[in-house]
Amino acid sequence: MTVAPRYRLPQETMTTPPTILLVEDDGALRTLTARALRQSGFNVLTAATGAEMWVTLREATVNLVVLDIMLPGTSGFDLFRRLRRESDVPIIFVSARGSEEDRVLGLELGADDYLAKPFSTRELAARVSAVLRRGGGLDSSSEPVPEMRAADSIRFDGWEVSMARRELRSPSGAIVDLTGAEFDLLSTFLGYPQRVLGRERLMELSRSRIGDSSDRSIDVLVSRLRRKLQAEGSEPPIVTVRGVGYMFKAEVIRN
Amino acid sequence: MTGRLVALFRRMGLPERLLAVLLLVVLIEFAANSFVFERVDSFMLRRDDAERIAENLVLARRTLEHADLDERTDVARVLSTERFQLQWSAPEGRRRSALGLSNLRAQVIETGPELAMADLEIHLEELPGKGNIGGSFRLSDNSLVRFHTHANAAWKLTVGRIVSLVLPMLLLFALAWVLVRQTLKPLRNLIGATRHLGSGPPRPVPERGPDELRELIRALNEMQERIHQSLVDRTQTMLAIGHDLKTPLARMRLRLDDESVDPEVREGLSHDIEEMRMLLDSIQAYVDSDGRSIPPERIDIAVMAETLVDTAADHGADATYSGISNLEVKVRPVPIRRALSNLIENALHYGGNARVSVRRDGGAVEIVVDDDGPGIPDDRITDALQPFVRLDTARARDTAGMGLGLPIVRKAVRTENGTLDLRNRPEGGLRATIRLPLEPA
Repeated sequence: MTVAPRYRLPQETMTTPPTILLVEDDGALRTLTARALRQSGFNVLTAATGAEMWVTLREATVNLVVLDIMLPGTSGFDLFRRLRRESDVPIIFVSARGSEEDRVLGLELGADDYLAKPFSTRELAARVSAVLRRGGGLDSSSEPVPEMRAADSIRFDGWEVSMARRELRSPSGAIVDLTGAEFDLLSTFLGYPQRVLGRERLMELSRSRIGDSSDRSIDVLVSRLRRKLQAEGSEPPIVTVRGVGYMFKAEVIRN
Repeated sequence: MTGRLVALFRRMGLPERLLAVLLLVVLIEFAANSFVFERVDSFMLRRDDAERIAENLVLARRTLEHADLDERTDVARVLSTERFQLQWSAPEGRRRSALGLSNLRAQVIETGPELAMADLEIHLEELPGKGNIGGSFRLSDNSLVRFHTHANAAWKLTVGRIVSLVLPMLLLFALAWVLVRQTLKPLRNLIGATRHLGSGPPRPVPERGPDELRELIRALNEMQERIHQSLVDRTQTMLAIGHDLKTPLARMRLRLDDESVDPEVREGLSHDIEEMRMLLDSIQAYVDSDGRSIPPERIDIAVMAETLVDTAADHGADATYSGISNLEVKVRPVPIRRALSNLIENALHYGGNARVSVRRDGGAVEIVVDDDGPGIPDDRITDALQPFVRLDTARARDTAGMGLGLPIVRKAVRTENGTLDLRNRPEGGLRATIRLPLEPA
C-alpha cells in the first residue's frame, strides 16, 4: 500500500492551495470545519471514518491531515499510529478531551500539532498554516529550519530535551519547567550550536515557532534560561558574546 | 492435637477468644505463684543466721515470760537491738503471712527446741523496712511477741523473690498483649482500610479473625466495591458529559464564524462558548486531578513555581517569586503544576497580585502563595475547599470554572501525601500553603 509521501510544497506553486484531508465522524462538524478551511483558502477533502481516510490518501495528494482522534471504529490513537507508520504527512489531531496527557501522547505519537475542541475558524487556519509552513517548505528563510520531528530527543551536557513533549530534563532526570518562550528560545539555540546569534535573529527564529511568545526581551529570556540550566552548579551552556549576541557552546547530540 | 486446638481457637468468636486469653492468663498466674511459694518455702538460712535468731528468740521468750505484764513492753524494747527488734502485745489473733518459711522455722526450732511449744511462725517481710524476716510467737499467757530481723541470705532472697514475682508478671503482660493484639489485628486492618475508603481503587481487606470480624470485613469489602463503582460511574458520567458537549460547542463556535452573523452577537456567543469550555475543562481537571494513573516523576518544584510566576508576569500580571531556585521532588507533574497554577490564578483573580515562595522545611517542601486581596471569611474557608462551592455568589459568572479550583489543588496535593492550608494573613490577604514530602511516603 502506498500513501502519498510527505508533500513539500515548492515555492513556485504557492498559488496552488494546499490540500487538507479532514477526518471527522460528526457530520455537521465535518461540514462546518471543511467550510472554515475552504474559507481560509485551503483545498479540503473529507472522510468520516478511518477506512474512508485510507481510500482518500491513496487516491489524492494530501498536504496535511486533520484527524479527530475520537473516531468510531478503531480507536483514534490506533489509526493515528498506523497513519504515522505508513506516511510522513503532517497531522494535526483534534480532541475533545483537552487533557494534558492526551496532548502529550498525541505529540509523542508524532502529531505535528494539537487542537482542542471547540476551536474558531481563525485558530484552525493558523495552526494548519503554521504546520504547513514548518514542515512544508513554505518557510522562505534562507537558513534551513531544524527539523523538529527528525530529532525528538536532544542531549547536551547531560541535559535532555524532548521536542514532542516540550520538556527539559536535568542531568539528574528531573523535569525542569520552561515557559513557552524560554522553550522556543532553547530550541532555537539547540538548532544552532556553537554559533553566535544576534538578538534580533534569536527573536525572529524563536517567534517563528508555534507556542506562546511573550514581550520579554531576549536578554531577560536568556538570563532566565541560563539560570535554569545552571542548576547543577556547572558552567551555563549559553555564553554572551559582547556586542553581538549569544552562543550555545555545549555539544548537542540528536537521536 | 495442636492443629485441632488452633482450629478450635480460630472458630471462636471475639468474646470466646478474649475469655480464652483471660483463662490462659489466670492459669499461668496460678502456676507461677505456686512455683514462687514453693521456692520460698524451701528456702534455707545460713546456719549462723538461724542460730542467732534461735538464741535471740529463746532469750527473749525466757525473759518476757518472767517479766510482769505491765513491764513487758519496756523489756521487749530493752532486749531489741538494731538488728533484732522485738515488740510485745496483748493476746490477739495474728494473720499468717502467705510467705511462710517452714524450712527456716525448722532450722530455728532445731537450735531452740523450746520455741516449738511457743507456736513460732516465721515469714518473709512483704515490705523491706525493719528487716527482711519477720515472725511471732506466743508466751504461755497467749500474749504475742513479734520480731523483725535481718538475715544475710534473705536479702538475696528478696531480690530473687521480686524477680521471680515480677518476671512472670511481665511475661504474662507481654503474652496477654501479644494475644490481644493478635486477636484485634484484623480489626486494625479494617480501620486502616476504612481510612482509605473512597480514595483510589478498592483494596480488599483479607478476611481473617473471628466470625464477627470476618463478616464485618466482608461487608466492608463489598461496600468498598460499591463506593468505588459509584465513583467510577460518576467520573465516567462527568467525563462523558464534558466530552460529548465539546462537539456541539465546536459546531456552535464554527457556525458563529459565518459572515451573516452579527458581530455583536458573535462576540457575545463566543464569550459564552468560551465560558462553557472552561467549565467543562475544570470538571475534567477535577476528575483527573488525583492522577493515580500517572506515575510520579522527579521534577524541580522550585523551577516549576518560578516558571508559572514568570508566565503570569510575562502576561502582565503582578506576580513575583522568591525563595530557593532548585529543589527536586517526586510527584505527578501535571496535577501538581495545575495545583500551583490554580493557586496563582486565584491570587491574581481575587487578590490582584501573587507572591510565591518555595522553601525547604525539614523533610518537606513548602510552597506559599500570598495575595493582598480581601481573603476569605474565616467561617467559609472550609467551604472554599468543597467542590462546586463558589464563594463569590454575587460575581459568580465572571469567574471561570465551577468552584473547582481549590478542590483540584487539594485533591492533587493529597495524592502526594501533602497538605493544603488556607488562612487569612493578619496583615490582610490570603495565604495558601502547600506542603509536599520530599520523599514519597
